[in-house]
Amino acid sequence: MKGKVKVLLSKLGLDVHNRGIITVARGLRDAGMEVIYIGNSLPEEIIKAAIQEDADVIGVSSLGGAHLTLGSELIAEAKREGLKDQIIFVMGGVFSPADAEKLRQIGFDGVFLPGATRQEIVSAIRQFVSVKG
Amino acid sequence: MAGGKSTTKEILQAKLAGRERVPLYNPEALARLRREFDHWRDTAVREQDRENWYATPHTILGSDIPREMLYTPLNNSDLDYTQDLGNSGQEPFTRGIHANMYRGREFTMRQLTGFGGPEDTNKRMKFMLEHGATGLNPLFDLPTIQMYDSDDPISRGQVGMSGVAIDSVEDMDLLFKDIPLDEVTVSLVTHYPSNTAILFPMYLAMAERRGISWDKLRGSVQNDITLEEVVRSGPEYIPPEDCFRIQCDNIEFIRGNVPQWNFITLNGYNLREFGTSGITEMAVAVANGIESVEEMLRRGHNVDWIAERLAFFWSPASDFFEEVARIRAVRRLWYKIMKYRFDARSARSLWMRCHVQTSGVSLMRQEPLNNIIRAAYHALSAVFGGAQSLHVDSYDEAYSVPTEEAALLSLRTQQIIQAETGVTEVVDPLGGSFYVEALTNDIEARILDEVDEIERLGGYVAAIGKGWVHRKIADYFSREQSMIERGDIKLVGYNVYKAHGELPPIEVFQYPQGVEERQKARLAKLRERRDNEKVNSALAALGEACNRKKNVVPYTVDCARAGCSEGEIFKVFKQAYGLWRPPVLW
Repeated sequence: MKGKVKVLLSKLGLDVHNRGIITVARGLRDAGMEVIYIGNSLPEEIIKAAIQEDADVIGVSSLGGAHLTLGSELIAEAKREGLKDQIIFVMGGVFSPADAEKLRQIGFDGVFLPGATRQEIVSAIRQFVSVKG
Repeated sequence: MAGGKSTTKEILQAKLAGRERVPLYNPEALARLRREFDHWRDTAVREQDRENWYATPHTILGSDIPREMLYTPLNNSDLDYTQDLGNSGQEPFTRGIHANMYRGREFTMRQLTGFGGPEDTNKRMKFMLEHGATGLNPLFDLPTIQMYDSDDPISRGQVGMSGVAIDSVEDMDLLFKDIPLDEVTVSLVTHYPSNTAILFPMYLAMAERRGISWDKLRGSVQNDITLEEVVRSGPEYIPPEDCFRIQCDNIEFIRGNVPQWNFITLNGYNLREFGTSGITEMAVAVANGIESVEEMLRRGHNVDWIAERLAFFWSPASDFFEEVARIRAVRRLWYKIMKYRFDARSARSLWMRCHVQTSGVSLMRQEPLNNIIRAAYHALSAVFGGAQSLHVDSYDEAYSVPTEEAALLSLRTQQIIQAETGVTEVVDPLGGSFYVEALTNDIEARILDEVDEIERLGGYVAAIGKGWVHRKIADYFSREQSMIERGDIKLVGYNVYKAHGELPPIEVFQYPQGVEERQKARLAKLRERRDNEKVNSALAALGEACNRKKNVVPYTVDCARAGCSEGEIFKVFKQAYGLWRPPVLW
């Protein structure tokens, strides 16, 4: 595993709420990861940026209800680019536990519901990264 | 103060100094009380309590103001009832803007509604009205809020989620189908100045089509730069100076043409939810209000002309007495500012009228039914504070937009307060409490200090541009997260009193299917049917007005009449003003 874990963070689509993603960005940086935050982006933009930045992890935030629609597009785009097995995908935001499970089935490695702590997120990402090697 | 201009705090200090005070409390009684209190404290109070006399409640969105164990008249020893409190409906309005408050007019029960296409939200709005809601509060989906059409590639997968999709005057018409615009009060959650200048004209054009004159329309829009430039994350922003100008254009146009409409609800709520204390929330809204009034004076208008209709929008959260005290504090402070800084003459100009929405961020995902209790306390504190209009957040806040059942429960929360508790029979029932009055005084001073800080930065718009507001918020919410994770902020069912094992899942709202397709189809038909020459000339005229810095709203009204879509109008703004990059938050 090369150097620092590099995480690309994005708001999914047009979602206006960025308090959570900024809190997570700071938390990941404080935990020693390299963080790039690209603001509001669509799935293809996120994948393009991840390729450009050679990211290890893609983290997206969705509080606006589009987690399944745009979330599944993101995974599909990753598969199209042959990245699904090389990058860790995590999502946080507001959605039901049932939808969180759907997101895992779609292909998200980690899904964080409201109330997740920074420590939980950091540990989970470290765990995923070490497993993926 | 740099530039020779006095700050509001300096002006108030100068104008209010030397006023003769008539203390309510007898000095002899106070002296005796002082002796007795000290004796009591030394003998009847445990040493542990003496040493920890001040305790600081830690809550989500709290201000960390320390509280004494017991409050007495000594905490407000020079209270002058007439100067500091007055009766309700009397200067300085600490006790309420009307003499009879809720006896004369119940707080408006105005629950947010919004999801799917206009026909879906129309149904839910009717449901709420049928069940006793007294105001409408439609909320728009993310594409509409961010000012993109439903068929814009950037909107895909998001149409009709977390709000209703509105692209044109025709959608607005469907949204309000069979709803009598001249009989209801409608708070259109337009959020931004730009969006207000785009969506409200569609509402006005719809009224015209129905033959309803604009002077019959009652309601409000947010129209707040705070929402467009500070609180939201979005792909494109216009510069703060242009955004503020549009805010004032909206105020000017609406005041002049839609006389019963509240043209701004100073924020407030969204800023605080983003992550600040209740003090900063109010300081920002007050600073924004001051700057808006100043701009309207510069445009040649009379202060009462604008001030009579200014309104505010707050976020009652969990520190119960702080919430009560701060609404009273800002009501008194706003009175002082309007009277002594701006020489407002009309009584209405002196009133801090407000809508409140109970804090969403204070609600938890774990054991969601607990949120019903939390929101009930938030709502009650706002009623004790004297708010004019309420929205109570629903218990499934951390899951999705509310189910019908959850939305109804929120409405019932308000109705139970109104009909069963008896608290609305007495005006300002907590007035005179040694604690509440001391806290009101403390908070008023703190709010004014932060207003002063903003003014010394060059004013609110300058503070936005400099990143001061953004940084303050980011620091606040990071610190708050640490306090939650450390357990300094206790949250039942989350980090204290945690349940063992899983509770049964709650029913979660499901969005209607096919909304995006329906919206796209409507838009396609509209673009075909409308007079596209009129559309293009309306958009061109708007662009011209933007470049000449004329009031843009008459032009956006023409655009709405011609059937322009939201995205088409926003594009004109972007082209005219260019894009702005907001300060980075981390």
